Amino acid sequence: MRTARQWARDLAMGVRFAFGGGREGWTRALLTAVGVGLGVALLLLTTAVPNVLSVRDAREQARADHTFSQPPRPKAADTLVVADANTTYGERDVRGRLLEPEGPKAPLPPGVDRFPAAGEMVVSPALKDLLTSSDGTLLRERLPYRIAGTIAEQGLVGSHELAYYAGAKDLAPRIDNSRVARIVAFGEKVPGQTSERMDPVLILLILVVFTVLLMPVAVFIAAAVRFGGERRDRRLAALRLVGSDSRMTRRIAAGEALGGSLLGLVLGTVFFLIGRQAAGSVEVLGTSVFPSYLNPSPALAVLVAVAVPAASVLVTLFALRGVVIEPLGVVRTAKPARRRLWWRLLLPLGGLAMLYPMVGQGRENGDFNQYLVTGGVLLLLVGVTALLPWIVEAVVARLGGGSVAWQLAVRRLQLSSGTAARMVNGIAVAVAGAIALQMLFAGVEGDYTEATGKDLRRAQMQVHLGADGGGSDAGERFRATKGVRTVTQLSMGSLSDRRKNPEQSASITVGDCAALRELATLPSCRDGDVFELTGAEYDDGASALVKPGRTLYLDPSYDEDPGREIPWTVPRRGLREAASVDGLLGFKADGLLLTPGALRKGAGGAVASTAVSAPASALDSSLGSALSSEIYLRLDRSVPDAAEYVRNTAARVDPLADAMTWTSTRESEKFTAIRQGLFVGAACVLALIGASLLVSQLEQLRERRKLLSSLVAFGTRRRTLGLSVLWQTAIPIALGLLLASVVGLTLGSVLLRMSAAKVRVDWPSVLSMTGIGAGVVLTVTLLSLPPLARLMRADGLRTE
Amino acid sequence: MTAPAGSLLAAEGLRKAYGPTVALDGAEFSIHPGEVVAVMGPSGSGKSTLLHCLAGIVTPDAGSILYDGRDLATMNDAQRSALRRSEFGFVFQFGQLVPELTCVENVALPLRLNGTSRKRAEQTALDWMRRLEVDDLAKKRPGEVSGGQGQRVAVARALVTSPRVVFADEPTGALDSLNGERVMELLTEAARSASTAVVLVTHEARVAAYSDREIVVRDGKSRDMERVV
Repeated sequence: MRTARQWARDLAMGVRFAFGGGREGWTRALLTAVGVGLGVALLLLTTAVPNVLSVRDAREQARADHTFSQPPRPKAADTLVVADANTTYGERDVRGRLLEPEGPKAPLPPGVDRFPAAGEMVVSPALKDLLTSSDGTLLRERLPYRIAGTIAEQGLVGSHELAYYAGAKDLAPRIDNSRVARIVAFGEKVPGQTSERMDPVLILLILVVFTVLLMPVAVFIAAAVRFGGERRDRRLAALRLVGSDSRMTRRIAAGEALGGSLLGLVLGTVFFLIGRQAAGSVEVLGTSVFPSYLNPSPALAVLVAVAVPAASVLVTLFALRGVVIEPLGVVRTAKPARRRLWWRLLLPLGGLAMLYPMVGQGRENGDFNQYLVTGGVLLLLVGVTALLPWIVEAVVARLGGGSVAWQLAVRRLQLSSGTAARMVNGIAVAVAGAIALQMLFAGVEGDYTEATGKDLRRAQMQVHLGADGGGSDAGERFRATKGVRTVTQLSMGSLSDRRKNPEQSASITVGDCAALRELATLPSCRDGDVFELTGAEYDDGASALVKPGRTLYLDPSYDEDPGREIPWTVPRRGLREAASVDGLLGFKADGLLLTPGALRKGAGGAVASTAVSAPASALDSSLGSALSSEIYLRLDRSVPDAAEYVRNTAARVDPLADAMTWTSTRESEKFTAIRQGLFVGAACVLALIGASLLVSQLEQLRERRKLLSSLVAFGTRRRTLGLSVLWQTAIPIALGLLLASVVGLTLGSVLLRMSAAKVRVDWPSVLSMTGIGAGVVLTVTLLSLPPLARLMRADGLRTE
Repeated sequence: MTAPAGSLLAAEGLRKAYGPTVALDGAEFSIHPGEVVAVMGPSGSGKSTLLHCLAGIVTPDAGSILYDGRDLATMNDAQRSALRRSEFGFVFQFGQLVPELTCVENVALPLRLNGTSRKRAEQTALDWMRRLEVDDLAKKRPGEVSGGQGQRVAVARALVTSPRVVFADEPTGALDSLNGERVMELLTEAARSASTAVVLVTHEARVAAYSDREIVVRDGKSRDMERVV
């Protein structure tokens, strides 16, 4: 009890000292507090991440409209027909819905207080801004609706989300439960739907990303509470003089750190609140949030509030182990005992031992123990902070010779290699983690990225027009669009052996001869020809089904999905074979290729005769409605915004048309999200480390202000002092990055082996990560030069 | 301005203000080669500012300073730095030794800044340390030596380039009387033997007693005093 009281008294005295001492004391406390505050703000931001995810998820769920599996519903007072009209503008996705309420009780989407009438739309604030700005001119053409209101926050998942609800008419005939559906409520849960099991390797990635990003923050906070350490040691010596014993002195020192960290907590909260507001006005990698999302989880926030001050006390007590504080105002800095290596090695080895049992588990068998993963990665990275002071000490002890600048730097490092190592610890840990993560990402990327098979030389965009093909002139309208070189229009469907619930079916592709040549090598072709494809990758049994003279059915019916059941007779003569080629679709097609004339002819009296006179590429509405129409476009890359012009044409042809830009590969959404999260987090951490490094550098320079002034007084060139500062940073950072590379490569290799992926060193990543780390340090050094020049001014001697 | 006959360093009409605080207000000064001049005065009287102006560390707002016939006002920062490196030496109240360098490296530093090789610089530094009776501290760092020892190392550093003028700002201010006297004895003996002029800023009469002449600074103005023995 007495000990606790003594501790409390000493710590309280330390807290008072932290803010005492006039301007000097306040400056020191403020520097510590700013450093700790930056770390706390980032920690609070991290504690808010689960809430951000859950709120975004809840908002997304609340506005979910059709689920592709809702039962067919009749029109009623409470039904609403909703159509998916998503689009893309530049690189940004625009969420769009067309709404047609069918009765007075039709459900309103979240964030919308009344249905927009046909020709009107309600938009998100970000979309409103875009549409009213000159940047949104092309999008304005695509959304020719009058803006009748805005969507409130509860209807959006982010402050910068582009979204609209437009009023529409006559949507009901187009209900297909795919893009158009009839619903009675938004956010309906699908019975029996369970959340998808997360891929274990992705969980591994998330765990490592969090550990790697938070570790440098912890390292940084530990460094920040030791700002002003040298001056504090001198002050503590004075306390020894008036009778405090060495333990009391340490506790008082810990109290000073506690004071700084408590103020840091306050500042951190303020920074967080400022950042929270600012977060609403930024969008990073297509993701934005509302400030209200950034609510830290209470338990985690309390943990931060307790852990940070506690850590500051422990770090100070730990740091003062090797410092001998004596009375008479002198801190004897006799050469400290050499650092021991053995326990420092134990940390990374312990980390490896924790990860080793999970080696080889991979995606299939991976059930990674999150505590072992986090603990293992943590120990390996903490190992960097433990090994670096030893390495810096061991290396700089062997350095000598050189210019005055070099000598000043080396001697400084020899005297206090710990300070230098502490400064670069954060960067080293961040780089080690980043290298490991980059290796892991690069190693498993193949598992989460698949080739789309699209041949980008033949087409760069595809427009899905759905049934009816957007009218007979759709192809012409695309051909007339600015930036379009060629247009290939194909209609797809299937032929079956029965009208209802068929047993056999074969796919058909309808197009003019030029379009069909994109899919097969045709011996000769004219309108009216039919070809049976050979050499397809998958034989769908067309040859068994397609017998001359046999009647088949286009768009058959199924129990719960009525079709148009259009009879079509296989021609008795002229059915020829054609070799399928790797075409536009990215695979060798199968089934039948039909020219429009052949389709009409086979359908015989089932279709109106007027259709026969339609252009070859067009089909009459009855046949067209049984097929879905795709348009493939080759663009003129020299025309800026060609894709936007195409999307605008598509929207004019059919507001429900789906215009897609082709890519050669497709990445798993979750994989992409984690990777983007890493980039955002890494940017925040690097900015924090850079800022902290600068604060720490300035603090060190400030402590040496008088010495710098006196060196200048007796004629030292400023360049010499500047270079010495650069060497003082460059030597430890070079060693830190070297160690970080070794640890990063080791950790990366282990993580890859855990994921059962081939271990491969991604040297460009290693070089870029170390380069970024070095760049941060170089930037900080350059930024510290102007204050250094000020500190070197001879009037720094005035108080002498 | 015309410098007094035979003077090495002379100043006239010096004025320097830091914001509203006037530190020097028409101060004058002169010193001859090998002469030891004490600048005395109470705290805040402007004596350190006078020293900083004379040494070219601080540029006065008005007035002129001639060193060996050259006007300091016409020199740029690099030229003044070069002058301080080669012709001037400095001793401050707390020594201001570079803590990470050993004592011999500290003493050798001004020579190294002038381009002397490390070996030769340290050899010369050791010679001076021997004269100031601190050669046994050569390999120690400033943090490992006493205040008096550190100040003698600082005096060795000030004299190592064989400067023509040493500026000493309260060189004994942080020392006990015994150590202070020893430092002053060594400083003035070494300076006189090398014909080095010493500008000695102090507020202690017993330190000023080591000088040949005293100048009193009060309210930014200087007054040459008769030598009091």
